[in-house]
Order: sequence, then structure tokens, then C-alpha cells
Amino acid sequence: MADIIRQLADKREAARMGGGAARIAAQYAKGKLTARERIELLLDPGSFEEWDMFVEHRCADFGMEGQRPPGDGVVIGYGTVNGRVVFVFSQDFTVFGGSLSESHAQKICKIMDHAMKVGAPVVGLNDSGGARIQEGVASLGGYADVFQRNVLASGVIPQISLIMGPCAGGAVYSPAMTDFIFMVQDSSYMFVTGPDVVKTVTHEEVTAEELGGALTHSTRSGVADLAFENDVEALMMVRRLIGFIPSSNREKPPTVPPFDPADRVDYSLDTLVPDSPNTPYDIKELIQKTVDDSDFFELQSAYAANIVIGFARMDGATVGIVANQPMVLAGCLDIKSAVKAARFVRFCDAFSIPIVTFVDVPGFMPGTAQEYGGIIKHGAKLLYAYAECTVPKITLITRKAYGGAYDVMASKHLRGDVNFAWPSAEIAVMGPKGAVEIIFRQDAGDPLKLAERTEEYREKFANPFIAGSRGFIDDVIMPHETRRRICRSLAMLKNKKLENPWRKHGNIPL
Amino acid sequence: MFSKILIANRGEIACRVIRTARRMGIRTVAVYSEADSRALHVRLADEAVAIGSAAPRESYLSMERILEACRKTGAEAVHPGYGFLSENAAFCRLLEAAGIVFIGPKANAIEAMGDKIASKRLAAATGVNIIPGAAGAVEDAAHAGRIAGEIGYPVMIKASAGGGGKGLRVAWNESEAREGFASCVSEALTAFGDGRVFVEKFIEEPRHIEIQVLADAYGRAVSLWERECSIQRRHQKVLEEAPSPFLDEATRHAMGRQAVALALAAGYQSAGTVEFVVGKDRGFYFLEMNTRLQVEHPVTEMITGLDLVEWMIRIAAGEPLALAQSDIRREGWAMECRINAEDPFRGFLPSAGRLRRYLPPAEEPGRVRVDTGVAEGGEIPVHYDSMLAKLIVHEPTRARAIARMRASLNEFYVRGVSSNIAFQAALMQHPRFVSGDFNTGFIAQEYPHGFHSSDVIHESPAFLAAVAAVARRRYIARAVRISDQTRGMARKVDSDWVVLIGPERYAVHLDSIAGGYRVVSANERFELLTDWRFGSPLMRGTCNGQAFCVQLERIGLRFHLAHNGTEADAIVMTVRAAELLGRMKPKPKPDLSRFLLAPMPGLLTHIAVQAGQQVKTGERLAVIEAMKMENVLKAEQDATVVALLAEAGTSLTVDQPILEFK
Repeated sequence: MADIIRQLADKREAARMGGGAARIAAQYAKGKLTARERIELLLDPGSFEEWDMFVEHRCADFGMEGQRPPGDGVVIGYGTVNGRVVFVFSQDFTVFGGSLSESHAQKICKIMDHAMKVGAPVVGLNDSGGARIQEGVASLGGYADVFQRNVLASGVIPQISLIMGPCAGGAVYSPAMTDFIFMVQDSSYMFVTGPDVVKTVTHEEVTAEELGGALTHSTRSGVADLAFENDVEALMMVRRLIGFIPSSNREKPPTVPPFDPADRVDYSLDTLVPDSPNTPYDIKELIQKTVDDSDFFELQSAYAANIVIGFARMDGATVGIVANQPMVLAGCLDIKSAVKAARFVRFCDAFSIPIVTFVDVPGFMPGTAQEYGGIIKHGAKLLYAYAECTVPKITLITRKAYGGAYDVMASKHLRGDVNFAWPSAEIAVMGPKGAVEIIFRQDAGDPLKLAERTEEYREKFANPFIAGSRGFIDDVIMPHETRRRICRSLAMLKNKKLENPWRKHGNIPL
Repeated sequence: MFSKILIANRGEIACRVIRTARRMGIRTVAVYSEADSRALHVRLADEAVAIGSAAPRESYLSMERILEACRKTGAEAVHPGYGFLSENAAFCRLLEAAGIVFIGPKANAIEAMGDKIASKRLAAATGVNIIPGAAGAVEDAAHAGRIAGEIGYPVMIKASAGGGGKGLRVAWNESEAREGFASCVSEALTAFGDGRVFVEKFIEEPRHIEIQVLADAYGRAVSLWERECSIQRRHQKVLEEAPSPFLDEATRHAMGRQAVALALAAGYQSAGTVEFVVGKDRGFYFLEMNTRLQVEHPVTEMITGLDLVEWMIRIAAGEPLALAQSDIRREGWAMECRINAEDPFRGFLPSAGRLRRYLPPAEEPGRVRVDTGVAEGGEIPVHYDSMLAKLIVHEPTRARAIARMRASLNEFYVRGVSSNIAFQAALMQHPRFVSGDFNTGFIAQEYPHGFHSSDVIHESPAFLAAVAAVARRRYIARAVRISDQTRGMARKVDSDWVVLIGPERYAVHLDSIAGGYRVVSANERFELLTDWRFGSPLMRGTCNGQAFCVQLERIGLRFHLAHNGTEADAIVMTVRAAELLGRMKPKPKPDLSRFLLAPMPGLLTHIAVQAGQQVKTGERLAVIEAMKMENVLKAEQDATVVALLAEAGTSLTVDQPILEFK
């Protein structure tokens, strides 16, 4: 017995050392922490319980039979984030470069299955060179086993991926199917084919960082939600994100004791919308002054900035915020912003998070680039997401709500529960100038007459009253009372029940 | 007394005049330009009249439109504030002809004092000290020596056409005067093609000290003592105080007597200011008389307990000055900081735009006064001066006034536009300012290369670390109360933390006590009591029994702190996280010298270069439109453009990369 206990201690010690001191030092030199250190920072101190520390790979080819490090390159288990259970796997780059073997994949599957059973999030800390080539198809099968679970868990439990080292080839598709991807600057990259293959096939010269670094994916491709400076910051911020989201689709979103009065008014919002309809303003000021404690956890802040998405709390409970940003491309909807917002709306809907939408949208972005890129189908994603969604939906039109984009942005017609407008709202098919040029085509040569007509159109439609007269707007509210009115609406909608007709699944225009 | 007056001004001074008028039971009319339709003074006045477009010429300087506004509203008198039409004799006459009273001096007094030469002549005739010197050109070296001898050394030999320090010599004795003459003439000839030079007394370590006077229509005038205005940046006053730490009683009274004599001689009736330059020997000399209310008048009001605007109105209404010189009090010490929308860290570049957050310190009668012209959510237009407010404090002694000012500056929170608060805070703790040892050259001498964050060293960074730790601890205290926790798995919160501020690490230990925390930060003890609420940008409370206020914003993981002119980013981590952070090799920071960064927020209207293009120093690279001004960015060195990182039409934030060079 004593012998077994001693062996256990030895095995644990060996497992903790991963790939050994030299490889750990190499990890530090790259600005990275080890797999276990990362878990330590992600979870509440002392809360991690590790499983499968003694799992070994079963490969007997290419000399692998001689090296069977305990744990096989991935650390799994569970712990808590502020007292709430979270499952985690963390790939250990110091062991075979974090490569994925059959048993490595089985470990990941194990905690995913557990997380599904108990209804708790899975956080994956990715730092892997790719498939364990020595194992061949067994490794590929392992990937697919993980993918299958990612898909089944989607919308059931939150899945969060941190890319903290390489993540290449097929391996990228597991994070790709999770809800959020975070990357670490200068030490992580993701791509389907690496720079060498790119060079051979297309003769393009590109570095790993340029091809798939944190900056690339958080600004150009939109694959990553956020990029962080280092491992420590990334893990601390993921803890904060977890505080906003429910543990599973069986739970309501978590609440924290509110300190910010729900009826707080802010008179500075009365001057937020500038006098001139073409002058931009920062919609984030409205968000910050409306939500609890000015605390807004923005996602994809550096990508498609013409729409703003993220989590906040209202009177202590989580809401998802979607807002057009007049500061960027005048707040137009385009391919990137529609897809960005659509995916966020669907996450919120899947996890019972009410959605607050702030609308100032002059329309869809015109141009060949957008049309050739398929704005029709991509724009439809946002429309579909909003229309399908059954969580409480509160919409506030601050200024422009023109054309099809008005319909898309959580309008009354898409089952918006409470639709407000500020007095500065203009709800119309298009801007006055464009409208007049079409309606009064015969006056095209007469700028004076056109100006007169424009003024006429502006007076008629550049206000919230026509929409109000149809009941498309429930009420026109003063900007300073925005927070109070939204908090009340959310409270009123707390027990909202709405179900879509049964079907296997809808067919979102992918 | 008038029943309705119009204020022909904007900003803080319009608001300030409205305040007094309201107290006196007088109705007020504001005028405003298109850029000011939502301005505070428009909201405060009983009535408001739009008088034209944003350009001052078309609105605040348009005499006809202001007269028309008077007629329309039935205003019986006009207070001009300062600037704009306040020293315009024609405006004064125009109103008079229309039967409307100008709240200020009569047109002839404005004219008499408006002409520099005539005013000096009148001053000299009245027995006011003027800078000794020879009015005419100097003939030769011997003549120069002779005149200098008469004036008394040191003297200044100056080119008539001079400017910018060229053609200027200081001589301390006769041989220097002769030599100075020769070199000054030759330099003036080369530089300006005009060899005429003159000689005048050189004032050593000059201070700018001015006397406030009040005079009525019945030949009565009093001095309201002096204001010390030597702290100037490029001839613009930055902060003012009363009394002056430099004057002795005899000099003060002598200056006051001369100022009163000049006011009487000029037939002055209203509030006015006689400006003097005072040398280190306490010799004082008349510079000019300002025939209007001065920006810095509140410091005089604080020490005398008089309302200058009230007296301007009373005198204009024909009331006699019911004050004798012996009635004029001089109590305690008052100080004023001008809070401007400008970025002290970027060469005091004016800043315009929306005031996202604006929380001035709370007023305390007789102690803290804020003359503000803006409100949160207001717009700072580009067309006018950049002053947001004046912060005025009044305490029994100068030392206490400085302490009060420092505390009040900490409470002054401005976001959306930049402000000079950090610079004012730096001045308030500069040893030379604190000791009173300064002159008009102070800022140029002490900040020769501008103002930098390294110019202010916080006296207790451990305190800042403690504040950040307390804020973080409060967030954690709430986070661990989140719903949906698993029984028996509550997070245990440690008492030890590490705060990172720049490259420094502070070990911080926190123990919860009633109303706050007992903190040991870098071996210093702080008992921090605060009712700070999440999201509030000001943490107020007491630290070891002393009141404090730190400005604090949470941006991602960082707390951005501002206190006593220092700005710092702090990250609070568990001991373990800090230890692990230390294990990782720091990643190299991107070399930003290879980038063209946006120097200000604005719209990128044009990029003048292409990728691969070689550029020479001084070549146009890009144009940014900011504050309705085109700003051309030029190459600072020869380089090759590697990539364009922003497209024309993009809204840029400060320091956003536009181009990458090789």
C-alpha cells in the first residue's frame, strides 16, 4: 500500500513536470505559460480537480513505445470561476508539442461529456502543434470526435476557446465551432494551412503572425473575438466573460447584486445625437451610460466596428447589446457586421440572454464588393437571427432607421417586445434626399424645388410619429430616461414565454 | 435698477453674469451663435436670441445683431463680459445712441486707455510709474551710454523693428551699453533692414501684477488690491492669485493709489484693471489698463467679499459707489486655475468635441467656486477660446489655498476632450510655485520642452497601488456573490495582491474593516475608507484620516488612475498571477517609430503617398481633418512607405497608425 502511494506521488510529480524543465523554459521564452499554470489562473485558487493524469498514449510505432508521458499532452478536469463549475482542457505544448493523439482526444471528450451532463461551460486552452502524426488516422478520428461533441454542445453549454500557441490544420475547427475565441498577441496563431504550404501552393510569402496571428484574426478575419497582450490577461478576462453567461441553456443568466440604481437618469444623453443628421457620434457612450456601472464587455471590438456587440448588465442581470456605430461607415450594415451581429444574437437567444438593440442605421452598404460578396445572404443572417430569437428583445431607435435595415434591426415586425424611439428618430424607407430624388423625379433639374420637397419629406418622416401611429414604436422616450425605461421593460419581460413552431431545425441562409 | 439685461458673450462669463443678475432680480437675455444653440448660457438665461453663425464676426462680434436682440427683447443694458465687444468704444456708442446702457466704462475712457501711447502719456501725467526709457532712436554708442546712465542699469537695448529676441541686448554697465548698441544695430540691420534702436529700463525677473479698481460716475474710486498673474504660458495667464506672495504692504498701497489716480484721471466708471510689471527690486511700472471685467476677477471677489459684476451693474445704473477704501477687505488667500480644453501632453493643442463626462468639484460658498460655461454632454466648439471653467479656491493662507486647489483639481473630472488639469496640478506642487518664487518666465524656464508625464512624480505610488487594490477588491467582493454557484465551492479570496504600475510591482495586503480596508502597500500603511461605487469615476474617502479623491476608470484589466497630476495604469493581480507573469519573457513591443500615428482624433481625408513610395523629410503624407481644420502630416525623415494602414474616410483615434515605413 505504502508502495502504491509512493508510486502515485512519483507519477503525479512526473505528470506535473510535463515535457521537462528544458521545454518549460522554452515555453516561458516564447512568452507562454505551461498548461497547468494557465488552469491555475483561469480557475479559483485551489479549485482545480485534475482527471486522467495517468492516461498514456497507445502508439507503438516510430519509437513512440519508448516514451509514454503521463497525461499525454493535455490536462483536463474541472474547477470553479467565482464558485461556478467550469470544465477545462489545457493542451501541454511541452509534451510532444501538445499534439493530439487518440487518448489526448478521448480526454477532451471526457470532460465535454461531463460538462453536457451537468450543464457547465467548457473552456479549451489550445496550444498544440496539430495531429500526432505517428498515430495517423487514429489522431484524425480523435479530432472528429471532438468536433462532433462541439456541435452537440453548441447552444447547450457555453464553449470558450483560448488560442495560446499554435493551432493549425484540422485543429482549428474545434475552436471554430465554439462560442468565443480569444487569442494571445505574438504567441498564438490559427490557420488551416501554414506559411510553408501557402508558399508552395500559391507562392505567397507570409509569416505565421500575418497569416493567422491574434491581430489578423481580431481585425481582419473576425475569427477571434478579442486579442490579449499575454496569457495572464487573457485568462483574467475570460473569467470576467464567464461572469456574464449562464452555465447552460437550462439556467437563467447569472445575476450580481446591483448597485447602480435602475432608475438613474443621465441628462447628458439628451445632447448625444448631434443637430446635423450627418454628424457621427459614439454609440458606445450611450451603451456605457445606460448599462450598470458603465461596465460593457465588448466582443470583436476591432472587427466590423460599424456594429458593436457585447455583454453588460442591467439591474444586475446580463443583457446582450447590439448597436449600430455611426462613427464607422456611418453605421451601415455590411457583410462583416451582419455576420458578426447575427452570431451574437443567436448566442444570446440560445442562452436566454435578453437583447437590447440600439439602432442608428442608414441602410445596407451599397457597392459591387458587397453584392459580389453576397450581402443578400449575409444580411439575411442577421434578419433570420433576430426573427428567430425568442428572448426578450428591446429596441431603441436613436436616429436613423432606414429601409430594410430598419426591419432587420430587431424591429416590431420581428417580434420586438418593446420598441422605443428617441425624439430624434427618423424611420423611413430612405433618407429625405434620396427619397425625393425618386418620388419627384420630374423636378430633378430644379434644385430649389428639390430642396423644398426634401424639407417636406423630412418634416413628414424625419420623426418617430408615423411609425408610432402604426404601433411600430411603443413609445417615444427622452434620452435621459433610457436606462430607467429599459430596466423596467426587462423587469416586465422577465417571464416572457415564446416558442417557435417545432421543426428539426431552421435553414438559416449560411 | 434695470429689469432686464442682455449678456453679449458666451461660455463661463455669460453664465457668471447671469448668476449675479438673477440674484439681483434682473431678468437675463442670452445671445448665441449656431455653434452654441445647446450651450449652458443659453439654458441658464431667461431668454435667448440666436444672432448668427459660428464665426464670431457673424455673431458675438456683430454689433448690429446684438443691438437688434436688445430691441427685440427690451433689454435695457448690455453686459459685454470679456473679449468680443467688451473694449469696443464704437459698440459702447452705438448702444448709447439707442438708449441702451453699456455695463462698463464710457466710450471715451475705453478709447483713452485703448491707445497704448496715449494711455502711457496720461499715466505719466497722473504720476503713475512708467518704464523709464528714451522714446526716440539712439544716435550712437556714446548716446546709448548716456541715456542708459540716466535710466539706471540694467537697461535693455532693443531694435525698433525687433521681435522674437532678435536685436535685443541687456547691458549692466556703460561699456556693455556701448557694445550692446553696436551689436544691436548690426543685428537689426541684418535681420530687419532697420538699424534704429532704443533704450529702456530692463526689468529683472518681471512679475505681472495688476490692480483691480472700481470707480463710479461721481468721481469716487477704490482699489480692490492686486492680483498676481505671473504664471503665464506664451503670454496667456494660466493661474492667478490674490494677494500676491511678492508684494509688501507699502508697494501694494502705492500701486493701489496710482491705479485709483489713473482711473479718476481717465474719467473711468466701472470695474477696471491697471496692469503693472514689477521687478525683483519691487519697482513697479504701468503697462496698460484693461477697461473690462477680467477673466481672473473671482480671486478679487473671494478676498474682498464683493461681487464685481454686481458693482458694474449698479454703477452702470447710476448708483454711487457706496464703498470707501477703508471698507475694502482683504481676507485670506484666493487662487484660480483656468481649466482649458487642451492637451498639456501634446504641446497644449486645443481640444474640441463632445464633453462625455464633466464633473466639476462641488462648490462650497466662500471656499470653492466653479465658474463653468459647460455641462456634461455639451459640445466644445472650435470657434472660440478653449476655457471650460475656472476653479477658484479661498482659504486663510496661501499654503492652505494650494492644498485646497490640489484637492479640488483631483475632483475635477473631464472626459471627451482633453484638459489641462494635470498641468495645473503639476504647478500646484512645483517647489518654486509653492514658495512663491516665480516670475513671468516661470513656465518657459521650468518646462522648456513642454510638459511631460515625467514632470510629475507622485509622492506616494504605494498609495495609488492601494487605491487600485481596493477598487479591485470591491469588484471581487461582488463577483463572488454571483448567482448560480455550486454549494461548497465558494471562492476563497486571498488578502495578498500585487499591483503593477508600469514596470513597478507593489505587494499589497488588504484587510477588510468597517467602511473600507486596512492596506499595507509596499510596506506603507493606509487605512482607506470609501463609499466608492462601481463605475464611479471618482473614488472619494479618507486615507489615514485625510480626505482624498482619486480619479479612476476601469478599462479592461487596467485601472486608469489620475491623482495630483499623475496618471497611471494599474493592474491588480493575485500573487500567483504576478509570479507567473514574471516567468514569461516579455514580448517585444512593436516599434512605433516605424509608423505614422494620428496626432489627434479626426477624419483621415487624404493619403498622399502609396505603398512602396520613397518619401523625403517634409513631404506631405496625409491630411487629417480635425476640429474643422486640415492638419497636414509630413514625413519627419526620409523613409520608404511599406503599407497604408488606414484608408481615406476613416475616423482616426489618437495614435492610430496610418502608414508603416521601412
